[in-house]
Amino acid sequence: MEIREIQKVTPDDIQVSEGVALFKLDQLLDKARSNSLWPLTFGLTCCAIEMMAVGSPRYDIDRFGFGVFRATPRQADVMIVSGTISRKMAPRIKTLYDQMPSPKWVIAMGGCAIAGGPFKYPGQYAILEGIDKIIPVDVYIPGCPPRPEALVSALLKLQEKITAKKD
Amino acid sequence: MTQTQNDTHWITEGLTVESALEHVYAKNGFHQEFVISKDSLRELAQRFRSREYFLECLSVVDYPDHFECCYQFNRWDKIHRVLVKVRNPDKTHPHFPTLSDIYEGANWYEREGYDFFGVIFDNHPHLTRLLLPETAKIHPMRKDFKGDSGTDVEDVLALIEYEDHQYEKVSQELKNKYQKDYFINMGPQHPSTHGVLRLLLHLDGERVLETYPVIGYSHRDHERMAEYKNYLQFTPNMGRMDYVGAMSFNFGYIGLIEKALGMAPSPRAEYIRVFSTELNRIASHLLWLGTYLLDLGAMTPFFYCFDDRENILDMLEMLTGERLTYNFFRFGGVAYDVPEGLGDQLKAFIPKMRGRLKDYKILIEKNIIFMKRTKEIGVLTKDQALSYGVTGPMLRACGIAYDIRKAEPYSIYPEMNFEIPTFPGCDTFARYQVRLAEIEQSLRIAEQAFAKMPEGPIKGEKAPKVSPKVPAGEFYFAVESARGHYGEYLVANGSANPYRLKQRTPSYANLSSLSSMLSGHLVADVVAVLGSTDVVMPEIDR
Repeated sequence: MEIREIQKVTPDDIQVSEGVALFKLDQLLDKARSNSLWPLTFGLTCCAIEMMAVGSPRYDIDRFGFGVFRATPRQADVMIVSGTISRKMAPRIKTLYDQMPSPKWVIAMGGCAIAGGPFKYPGQYAILEGIDKIIPVDVYIPGCPPRPEALVSALLKLQEKITAKKD
Repeated sequence: MTQTQNDTHWITEGLTVESALEHVYAKNGFHQEFVISKDSLRELAQRFRSREYFLECLSVVDYPDHFECCYQFNRWDKIHRVLVKVRNPDKTHPHFPTLSDIYEGANWYEREGYDFFGVIFDNHPHLTRLLLPETAKIHPMRKDFKGDSGTDVEDVLALIEYEDHQYEKVSQELKNKYQKDYFINMGPQHPSTHGVLRLLLHLDGERVLETYPVIGYSHRDHERMAEYKNYLQFTPNMGRMDYVGAMSFNFGYIGLIEKALGMAPSPRAEYIRVFSTELNRIASHLLWLGTYLLDLGAMTPFFYCFDDRENILDMLEMLTGERLTYNFFRFGGVAYDVPEGLGDQLKAFIPKMRGRLKDYKILIEKNIIFMKRTKEIGVLTKDQALSYGVTGPMLRACGIAYDIRKAEPYSIYPEMNFEIPTFPGCDTFARYQVRLAEIEQSLRIAEQAFAKMPEGPIKGEKAPKVSPKVPAGEFYFAVESARGHYGEYLVANGSANPYRLKQRTPSYANLSSLSSMLSGHLVADVVAVLGSTDVVMPEIDR
């Protein structure tokens, strides 16, 4: 049987004709993944309350397929680091990240997760100044805490990143 | 000899008292102060315990020539705050006697003292690190500690290595020691631990034998930050300590500094403070109700409660510009005046919320699963509550009407017409009842405060334009937060920053009582009991 190279068949991202859509396989997977990002149920501090608010009726994150918060990292796609990372907690976050199956994404929510936020001062001893010192981050959301809309926007940004053209 | 000294002669009778002071309560929040010798402390604590005083707070202070342990004892029924100080001139390894067998609540306070200051409490059953990781080598609150900013990643990596190694070792040890019963970790990442609490459960089958809460996973060194920053710069921290009921914490800190400076806010500001705090209290209780029922397996209450909560957040956002971590109070007033339209929203909200409360009651209390899971579960007796220093809705669920708003009135609460709801159940269901009843009372207060609000400036005449310098002295101020007695003990030395600012947070004492509530229960009840304590972890870990 002749195996054709898929790359040659599709010049564009998507070709639609008479109800048939043609994707590159990894693009199709990316599309699927980006529309059902399951976040890890994992709140650290203040930002976690805004993360919960995103699941409430007003912001209704289920509209985008992000509403399935999973309590176990084995079933989660995206980790929302929502709050200050204390030095005591940081190893646990690393473990959780390691336990998530690939592909996986990380959102750093709020000033603390980005760089220590208001708790960074000369001589601090308690916190890790930014989660990106121990795990890779895909989207950063500034704010203290960011509004729920900002988190929704970050998840949409992450969608864009996942489905973007890769060379 | 004055009248008070006569009444309280029993406190120090026959003990070695180095000095005794009568304080003016209105000025610094204390009634009496004693400096006693180390050997008399335990005898004194026993006297307080037998007369139903609770241990309100224990703060360690590092002075240039000695360490000082400041114990605060107080009563529920008639406020009588006694400050007892014990000193030790040893600056490297100071020893103090433990009170953890007299007051169980002292256990954590003493561990914290060891953690922060390296103070050793003799005969303490388990004197280990409380808030810092086990690998920490520092005692950060000592004045000679200069901080270690640059080492955060190193510290984390060292802890990862240590924990990997420790896991094998500990699990093997436990396996050898116990044949039938076993240990299980709940948290720090667990949907029902409300943040990052870790419970080490010692189980026999499905039954809980012993619970060891491990805290400190959101420790952010608020207390040391207070010493580093000046009085004004520290205000944003209050909104981040208890982010669910941030207004009360604003109230506590600003109230403390105002008390220390001897100034009063403008009348209009008092009313704005009270109604915004009460709205925030309702929001806090709604958040609790939604998540508690979510923990117990009911999904819909979460949506209803968050819907109502969003209405409150809208109003508070109009007022403060923030949704969650309010930084709204200022020395001598508040940041902004009431905007146009807020009154209409509030007027529409109050009857709506009252209607919703009725719905909640019917929907929740007619649910047989909820009733079975909460009634007679997690019983905390009055004596245990006293021993642990439990306050807030948890104490009022033991039938004791201790509420700072009535017991030690501050601001304009004496003018407000409201009740302190109490329920005698002592169980998780009673705690639910108290919080639901408090929502109604808070609505009443908010309604009255808004209606009575006078015109005028939002800042007092003497309000400082820059960060104030607090005169030297010791001050204590307490407010009723959504979770209970929130107090602050300030040691000021006349400079621009506090010398020591101890935060007495309500959930800290409330959570320490968890172990005695859980013994003998099933694992499934752990979630029901823990949820009923309504803890906010960053407030405990500070």
